Amino acid sequence: MLKALWRPTHPAHTTLGLILWSLWFVALYGGLSVACELVPPTLEQGAVNWLNASLLLLTLATTGVLLWLTQRCWRAAKRFEGSSQERLIAQVGAGAHGFSAGAALIVGLPVTALPPCL
Amino acid sequence: MTEPDPNQHRAFERVWGNRPGWGALAAVNHTSIGLRFMGTGIFFFLVGGLLAMLIRTQIALPEQEIIGPETYNQLFTMHGTVMMFLFAIPVLEGLAIYMIPKMIGTRDLVFPRISSLGYYCYLFGGLIILSSLFLGIAPNSGWFMYTPLSSAEYAPGPGSDFWLLGITFVEISAMAAGIELTVSILRSRAPGMTLSKMPIFCWYILAMALMIVFGFPPLILGSILLELERAAGLPFFQVAGGGDPLLWQHLFWLFGHPEVYIIFLPAAGIVSTLIPVFAQRPLVGYRWIVLAIMITGFISFGLWVHHMFTVGIPQLAQAFFSAASMLVAVPTAIQVFAWLATLWVGKVIFSLPMLWVFGFLVVFVCGGLTGVMLALVPFNWQVHDTHFVVAHLHYVLVGGMFFPLMAGLYYWLPHLSGRMPSRNLGNWGFWLTFIGFNVTFLLMHLTGLLGMPRRVYTYESGMGWDGLNLLSSVGGFIMSAGIALIILDVVLHFRFGKPAPRNPWNADTLEWATRTPPSSYNFLSQPRIETRHPLWDRPDLPDTIAAGAHGLRDIGHGRREIYGTDAVHARLKEVIHLPTNSWWPLLSALALAVVCISLLIRTYPLALVALAVATGLLLRWSWENGAHPKAAPLGLQEPTDPPLHSRTCDGPGLWGMAVTLLADATLYLSLLFSWFYLWTVSPEWRLPEETPLALAPLVLCGLLLAAAVALYSRMTQRLRLGQDRNLLANTALVALLGVLHTAALIGVFAGADLRPTELAHDAVLMVMLFYLLFHSGLATVATGLQAWRVKLGYLSARLPYEPMVLKPFWMYTLGIFWLSVAVFLLLPMAWGSA
Repeated sequence: MLKALWRPTHPAHTTLGLILWSLWFVALYGGLSVACELVPPTLEQGAVNWLNASLLLLTLATTGVLLWLTQRCWRAAKRFEGSSQERLIAQVGAGAHGFSAGAALIVGLPVTALPPCL
Repeated sequence: MTEPDPNQHRAFERVWGNRPGWGALAAVNHTSIGLRFMGTGIFFFLVGGLLAMLIRTQIALPEQEIIGPETYNQLFTMHGTVMMFLFAIPVLEGLAIYMIPKMIGTRDLVFPRISSLGYYCYLFGGLIILSSLFLGIAPNSGWFMYTPLSSAEYAPGPGSDFWLLGITFVEISAMAAGIELTVSILRSRAPGMTLSKMPIFCWYILAMALMIVFGFPPLILGSILLELERAAGLPFFQVAGGGDPLLWQHLFWLFGHPEVYIIFLPAAGIVSTLIPVFAQRPLVGYRWIVLAIMITGFISFGLWVHHMFTVGIPQLAQAFFSAASMLVAVPTAIQVFAWLATLWVGKVIFSLPMLWVFGFLVVFVCGGLTGVMLALVPFNWQVHDTHFVVAHLHYVLVGGMFFPLMAGLYYWLPHLSGRMPSRNLGNWGFWLTFIGFNVTFLLMHLTGLLGMPRRVYTYESGMGWDGLNLLSSVGGFIMSAGIALIILDVVLHFRFGKPAPRNPWNADTLEWATRTPPSSYNFLSQPRIETRHPLWDRPDLPDTIAAGAHGLRDIGHGRREIYGTDAVHARLKEVIHLPTNSWWPLLSALALAVVCISLLIRTYPLALVALAVATGLLLRWSWENGAHPKAAPLGLQEPTDPPLHSRTCDGPGLWGMAVTLLADATLYLSLLFSWFYLWTVSPEWRLPEETPLALAPLVLCGLLLAAAVALYSRMTQRLRLGQDRNLLANTALVALLGVLHTAALIGVFAGADLRPTELAHDAVLMVMLFYLLFHSGLATVATGLQAWRVKLGYLSARLPYEPMVLKPFWMYTLGIFWLSVAVFLLLPMAWGSA
């Protein structure tokens, strides 16, 4: 069953990227909120501190995974002709993964410029 | 169109039709229920519109005293509440309930009695909320009920209680619709109608339904917590007791922002359905639109904090939500460009529905642009709580929902009446509404930019707002005149409208293959569909369907039957037999209404009695299922290839359970969020020095539950293999274990040293314990009833379905039990010792 789920033409891939994005978003916002309450970096450090660095790493790692999944679905879509069910799923999956990658990068980028707990 | 054989038509009507006279109240047919939802929604729309006119009358001129401040507060609160909860969502649900089975080529939704229950909960809940207005005790804290303004201290009257209890009651209806639309779309499409061949409207409704499933539980939880605070003094939102008023805002907007898209997506679905019909060519970018729908559905859950930019959240967090809010414009833009491209390459027929579509495009794009402006934090700070925001939300909601709804109304009116509306009256109605709307709300942007706050019942002259407000009010009345003309047109067309020709717009989707007005069974025979445009590719379909050339044309067995297909490829799997007309939904909703009213008047013994009656009615209703003599008893005249669903291990009930558990899990996650939020953020949050719950009895309680679940799982595995030896003994043993577990849990609860009115910590623990008790109790009772059904022969190796449906519920109950022990008990203990 897991093997079937992992195939890029499985319908789960139409939402997998967006689910990963959602989990990343929860981790980003939740992590920031909890860290600011418990162990906030000093204001003098500005945007360069352990918290922002961790959030940036998380963002880049998530974006990387999502881009890899995009490429995987895109390649799978090319293997199918016309308007087959598999092609639709793989194309939509590629689009969803790709959008999620871009969304993670855009939403996460402010960590390079803003102090976290101000 | 070929008419079906009159004898066969009568035979189908006998099985599928409503009862005559008062018996119509027992109807469960999706066409009737959908129309009732829409009719009731329109009634509430008129009420909401009347309230808007009163508001505009009061602020048309400065320093007026036509309406006092208290009444004004009630009016704007009720206007927002009625429009959002009693009009926008239900009317779109009604449209979906009416339309989806017809579009996917089937005869009804998979849980028709749930549709009926949903309708009555909506009707009674709506009337309860509305009654507060006539009693002069309506809620007055704004439609989003911010605490502490809505808490007992600042809103001591019953207004907030009307809102909290009434809306929660109405939300039963939304959840019911969300669950059954999801399952119906996934499991009862016509054979051959794969996901890629599904009408685009169904994608939109599928997204809307799933968004309801995930979006409403946070508000349901928030409403329960706030009502508990108001009625019993549990301090979830009071800082002194360890609560936090901002928790309400989070829970509300976790629901509230997705709700905007719950309203917008079906409306956009109407547009995506109409544009190809009036351009007479397939929709450009079907895949792109499917992608855009999915992205919208997900991203909309990540924007809620943009409603809270002024509450003191860190700037970096605001930047996350600002960026996410702008991103949601991308999928919307994909749809707008796909619509424009379809119009560009098609030969557009300019008819009345298209007028509303063009109106939608203009108004909604403007609303979307001001939305992007509001996503910018500094701008948001400047215009927060001004009329600019009011103007923006009306451009989005009226433009994004009302205009497409009117397009849909004019498009599908011939379907439900068999007659065409008047083009002249319709044109007048459109232009008056369009002009009136823009005069009202375009100017309101300026009023807001000039600093006029929302929710003030009057203002001083000379602030620069006088003329703009007067013009806005004039615009409001012009819009009302337009809507009055539309109502007149619709009413008159039933009597004077020209008979509609067959498929009057040359549409491509299956709803136009039914009779107009439609029969109770939609399709006399159920066709195989292998194209996205069935009526364009196979124009003879209406005739062959009516002639009985396709499947399920036999009605001699007297069952309401539809095809069940697999979710992705729409391969034929089973014949689903549906329940028929029933009084149980109405009676259950009435009992629930009594619960609601008795809680409102704080007569708790009566509430308990009514709750017991409601539970009894719901269980009695559930009894008439599967092989029960009133459902589908085992017999000779039943199909075997494919079989009836109650003879299989998979079916709509199992899917319904899965989707229900998704909603249930979202409610539980919202509780976990509240727990961690208060723990992290509330300045007065206190962990008791010793845990108030005894750990050892709780572990014993969990082991009993684990034993029950293990035994039940083994039993279902054996049933799957066709073995039912000792089924009665095993089911009874599981029920017994469930009783012991529930009793032990009650014991833990009774022995707990909880101070829920003093500590938010203990108050959350108490809610968690009630949540666990509810699940354990329900699973136990349901299994006890199943044991009884085994004895009566309704459950066996030939009838293995019902245990398959209940099994995920047992698993879920076990999962939340141990997760709760870990999060609510072990984690604080570990934290305390650290």
